[in-house]
Amino acid sequence: MASLIATARPIGRHFGLVAGALVLVALLLASWFLPLPYDPIRPDAAATLQPPSARHWFGTDSVGFDVFSRTIAAAGRDLPIAFGGALAAALIGVFLGLLSTTKGRGSAFLMRSLDAFQAFPLLVLAIAIVTLTGNRLEMVIFAIIIIEAPRFLRLVRAEGLAIREARFIEAAEVIGAKPLRVLLVHLLPNVSGVIAVQLSIATANALMVVAALSFLGIGVSPPDPSWGAMIQAGARQMTGGQWWVSLFPGLAIFVVVVSLNMVADALDVILERSVR
Amino acid sequence: MTSPATGRDTGPADAAREALAPPAPHRGRAFRGMVAKRLAFIPLALFAVITISFLLVSIMPGDPALAILGSTASEREVAKVRGELGLDRSLSERYITYVGDVLQGDFGRSFFTGQPIRDEIVKYLPASIELVVMALAVASLVGITIGTAAGYFRGRAPDRTVRVAIAGLEAIPGFLAGLLLIFFLFFLWRLAPPPTGRLGIIDVYPPPVTRFLLVDLILAGDWNGLRSALHRSMLPVLTLALGAIPLFAKITRTTVGNAMGSKQIQYARACGLSEWRVVQYALLQARTPILTYTAMLFGAMVGGSAIIETIFSWQGLGQWGLKAIVALDIPAIQGFVIVTGLFTMLVYLVLDLVVAALDPRIRHG
Repeated sequence: MASLIATARPIGRHFGLVAGALVLVALLLASWFLPLPYDPIRPDAAATLQPPSARHWFGTDSVGFDVFSRTIAAAGRDLPIAFGGALAAALIGVFLGLLSTTKGRGSAFLMRSLDAFQAFPLLVLAIAIVTLTGNRLEMVIFAIIIIEAPRFLRLVRAEGLAIREARFIEAAEVIGAKPLRVLLVHLLPNVSGVIAVQLSIATANALMVVAALSFLGIGVSPPDPSWGAMIQAGARQMTGGQWWVSLFPGLAIFVVVVSLNMVADALDVILERSVR
Repeated sequence: MTSPATGRDTGPADAAREALAPPAPHRGRAFRGMVAKRLAFIPLALFAVITISFLLVSIMPGDPALAILGSTASEREVAKVRGELGLDRSLSERYITYVGDVLQGDFGRSFFTGQPIRDEIVKYLPASIELVVMALAVASLVGITIGTAAGYFRGRAPDRTVRVAIAGLEAIPGFLAGLLLIFFLFFLWRLAPPPTGRLGIIDVYPPPVTRFLLVDLILAGDWNGLRSALHRSMLPVLTLALGAIPLFAKITRTTVGNAMGSKQIQYARACGLSEWRVVQYALLQARTPILTYTAMLFGAMVGGSAIIETIFSWQGLGQWGLKAIVALDIPAIQGFVIVTGLFTMLVYLVLDLVVAALDPRIRHG
């Protein structure tokens, strides 16, 4: 009993982390293993625009797709893309961010070109790039990288510049550690906490990007379920009062983003505590 | 911060006001130097924007002409489009021609409407600016108000309420918020007109003097039209504002919250200023970050509000750009990229100058 309480206490303290992570894992597992009541990619033409009922929990859309089955199935597509994109953006952004903490003309040039690059409405630029390159799924990941990598870069640079002034970096340089070793072995571990927090936030943002792109029909192949495309499918119905077609996939996005932000907040609190 | 001796017998409240208020701006040499440096940056930025827009065509895999026309196009058609794109010439040759054309204000013609791109931009940009200005006005008003309340009552009930509201708003994609607003405000409660554009079918468009619809309606003295246009602005403005409110609220909450614990505020309280004035001074410290956010959002939203504009048929630059992107209308996409990029850079330039004019540390630094 005592050990149970001892186990439960830290979990209670990190409620956001546990609850957020649980929701995400549950949703992913459901999309992979849960037997769905209807085939998510085969519409039932006899049952279009049915309101939520015992037969169709989330109702059906104008083609006759079961909204519940599709909402769950879409998690298996949208979440990995969002996380994969955020991870790729983190790898690139962190690496460039570490490099940018070194003194030299190169890093100044990098920051200036980043300024110019971020002057664009990045989402629209990403849409243009995905469409122009032939509307393929891999390009959605590329779009996420374009939008999210600069944020990792700036974050790692800001944190890294402060840590660079520390004695142990100087010590490492004095005993002859190579610049790359200083960056990866001495600097990187000290910014890993903020990277973890940012990764969670970036995944949430990436999901919004995936949703926005598929809302516009970019990066999806039609019968495959995707939350953004499902919201688009119900967009016209909103003026006619059939709210369920768009609402449920929208709720899925909402729940995932809130969960990811809860994880980020909890990580932030844990890190603050361990530092101070 | 030393205040000049006034010789007047000043009460403690006056002293506090003097100590807290920023010194009157005076434009020194450093300021002019900064302005010159910033202006010198503009041609460079222009060059970068033109280059990115030029490179967009070359990222297309295979033959762009084929991608645009589809595989059923005849050889003559393909050759014609290739000629229009200049694909029959070398990359460097094309680049020089392109930069030259753009610098003369020639963005080419749309593949689909045949209209000069410049005319289309002039037609659609004002609508986007009007939308974003209205949305930012609403968002800053609401965001700063709730952010100040949260920062002032940090850790207490108002703060917790605002934080939950912010977390909720942040998790709703803009297009979903728009659709939900349509459902509630138009379908359910009939408070808003349908999302079918800026004016109703019976409304008459005013003569395009400034091309800003609201301004033109005022100039034409068409008050019924103005009322209709404002009513139809309600939903899109609200949708865009909902996306920006969390940003304003968060930045205000942080700065005001920190300011409340600062020495200046302690002093202001010690001088016996009313709590209302204390909050005003705390808010004054949030001025620069709020301005920065406003400018960033302004730049990002003109063009970035494309999806919202499309949902509400706003007929702005974003909707036009999005349509061009989906249709692979290359000259239009390029024009869109250049205009949005340049617009953002100009907004940042103005921001830097305003912040420098307001903040003596930057002005003399």
